[in-house]
Amino acid sequence: MEVEPISQPPAPKVEPVTSADLVLGVVAEIDDESLIALCDSLRTLPGSPIIAALRNDHASVQAGATSEASEKMHSPYFVPWPSSKTDDPGTPVVNIATAYQSAFAVSEQLNARACCIVASTIEDAKPEWIRELVQPLLEEDFDLVSPQYALRKFEGLLNSSVISPLTRCLYGKRIRNPMGPDLGISRRLFTKMLGTEKTGVHPLASIAPAALCDNLKVCQVLVGPRTYPPPDWTNISSLVAQILSPIFADMEKRAACWQRTRSSTPLPSFGKPVLLSQDTGTVDVSRMVESFQLGNRNLQEIWDLVLPPSTLLELRKLARLPLEQFRMPNDLWVRIVFDFALAHRLRTINRDHLLKSMTPLYLAWVAGFARDAEAADASGVEQILERLAVAYESAKPYLVSRWRWPDRFNP
Amino acid sequence: MWGEIKRALAQSTERFLTRFADLLPGTAALLVAVLISIALGFLLAVIVRRVLTSMQFDQRLTQWGFHSSSEWPLLKSPTLLISRTIAALIIVAGFLIGIAAFDAEWTSLLARSIFAYIPNMLGAVLVLVVGSVIARYLSRSVLIGAVNLNLSYARLLSVGVRWLVLVLAVAMALEHLRIATGIVELAFGILFGGIVFALALAVGLGSKDLITKSLERDAQKVSGEKIEEPFRHV
Repeated sequence: MEVEPISQPPAPKVEPVTSADLVLGVVAEIDDESLIALCDSLRTLPGSPIIAALRNDHASVQAGATSEASEKMHSPYFVPWPSSKTDDPGTPVVNIATAYQSAFAVSEQLNARACCIVASTIEDAKPEWIRELVQPLLEEDFDLVSPQYALRKFEGLLNSSVISPLTRCLYGKRIRNPMGPDLGISRRLFTKMLGTEKTGVHPLASIAPAALCDNLKVCQVLVGPRTYPPPDWTNISSLVAQILSPIFADMEKRAACWQRTRSSTPLPSFGKPVLLSQDTGTVDVSRMVESFQLGNRNLQEIWDLVLPPSTLLELRKLARLPLEQFRMPNDLWVRIVFDFALAHRLRTINRDHLLKSMTPLYLAWVAGFARDAEAADASGVEQILERLAVAYESAKPYLVSRWRWPDRFNP
Repeated sequence: MWGEIKRALAQSTERFLTRFADLLPGTAALLVAVLISIALGFLLAVIVRRVLTSMQFDQRLTQWGFHSSSEWPLLKSPTLLISRTIAALIIVAGFLIGIAAFDAEWTSLLARSIFAYIPNMLGAVLVLVVGSVIARYLSRSVLIGAVNLNLSYARLLSVGVRWLVLVLAVAMALEHLRIATGIVELAFGILFGGIVFALALAVGLGSKDLITKSLERDAQKVSGEKIEEPFRHV
């Protein structure tokens, strides 16, 4: 007796998505089932918004789904994410800048009211924090919803030392994670960002400044701890250069805006604060201090071109301090950041050299911060960072003055 | 007797005056050639300087990652350097043309051989300038990279790289000038090999700890041990 092969049920016909209220782009690794569950969860928001999920095929394969399975998975939510695949199959991280720009382009094509891009790892099946990130966009008509992560004291150090306080000082809003990377963006803002695509500045560095300079509605959502795969940053100098370069470039572009701003105000905030347990043990900062001392001995010829003599003198004094007394004063660190931003603008030396030569100075700040924060609890760390942010604001006249008359302070 | 002396003196004076008179047109031509070349050189230098300034040549050079104008080793500004070099070349060319106007065989030969040598000189100068720029760029890259890797011999590496490139550039320039090519090749080989050997020894001996740490880290990765790093920068 011949057995007829069991025919596969035909795949349900899925209408292509032609319009949506919200476009969701998940840059991190996620399988199709989880992405559908996430969209279902967002669909239950008031007003039942139509969701379009950008599918990053490469990430879904990385997440464990076979390519065959992912091909077979159909969903009314899915839209292709152009230019989101990485050329290097060994690298799971897509090019964030391209991913953002292509997400904005798709959002505009679909005439979406808002776009939400998630770059952190999604651990729950239905993460509440993504709903919270989307809600102010759809319900309160905010233009930019930025996350405020609950961090352990030694996490997000580059953000704490430069990005957040610098943005606060420049644009007058106390934003904790201006570069996201998990962000909710309104139609008004992503249309604007698409218009500035050719400026060459990384979109993550320009989104918050663009919103703040144009007086768009910006808020923060307390989203709990951020989970992301540990980056293999064996060379911190590359990290410093890659992150600070677009920030300084955007700063140059918006000089007319930030020179008008004085003092800062808090942003509207949503969500409940999450307190993480903080370690209070001592940390070893000797390698960072040694790195600074080595830089102080060898990089003088570069720092001489960037920093004024008074700062160089203070750095020499700092290099002579014993390990237990090692602290970089806030005002010194702030002036260093401002001077490097100015040198980046003036192209005093090759920009890559400039930013990489800042690494020993950054490590000196981290060492001092670690010394201060090692015994502090969460509120103590908050106070330290608040003092740093205030130092940035106090030194703003120095920045404005150097920016306008760069030769005046030159050695 | 006295008459013969007077005649000989008169003849030699006449010969001197004739020779001197023969030189006068050539001298006048030389003066005119030099004056014209000075004027032409000045004019061209001004034009080149204006064109390069309007192109923001100095800034562009810095943007391309070569140099800050304030550190330029020969002159403070590459624009000035180029315009002045052009002016100097035109004046030298005018002087040589003026010498050739004496219509003497040796001056023509001298001028011809100097003119034939000018491309070599220009090539050598170009090689030296480019070599100097590359040497500074590479030595700075190596210095910053080595400091960020916490290598205590960062300065030594940087200086070594600078001298490697400079020695190469000087050897190439001398080769262009066709000056003692055999000796230059030998000296270059010895110097280049010596610097590489010295660097290899210094780095090899100095980086024992670094390699040990790197191997330990790799071994930890292979055995699945988690490396705890309290600091996360992003």
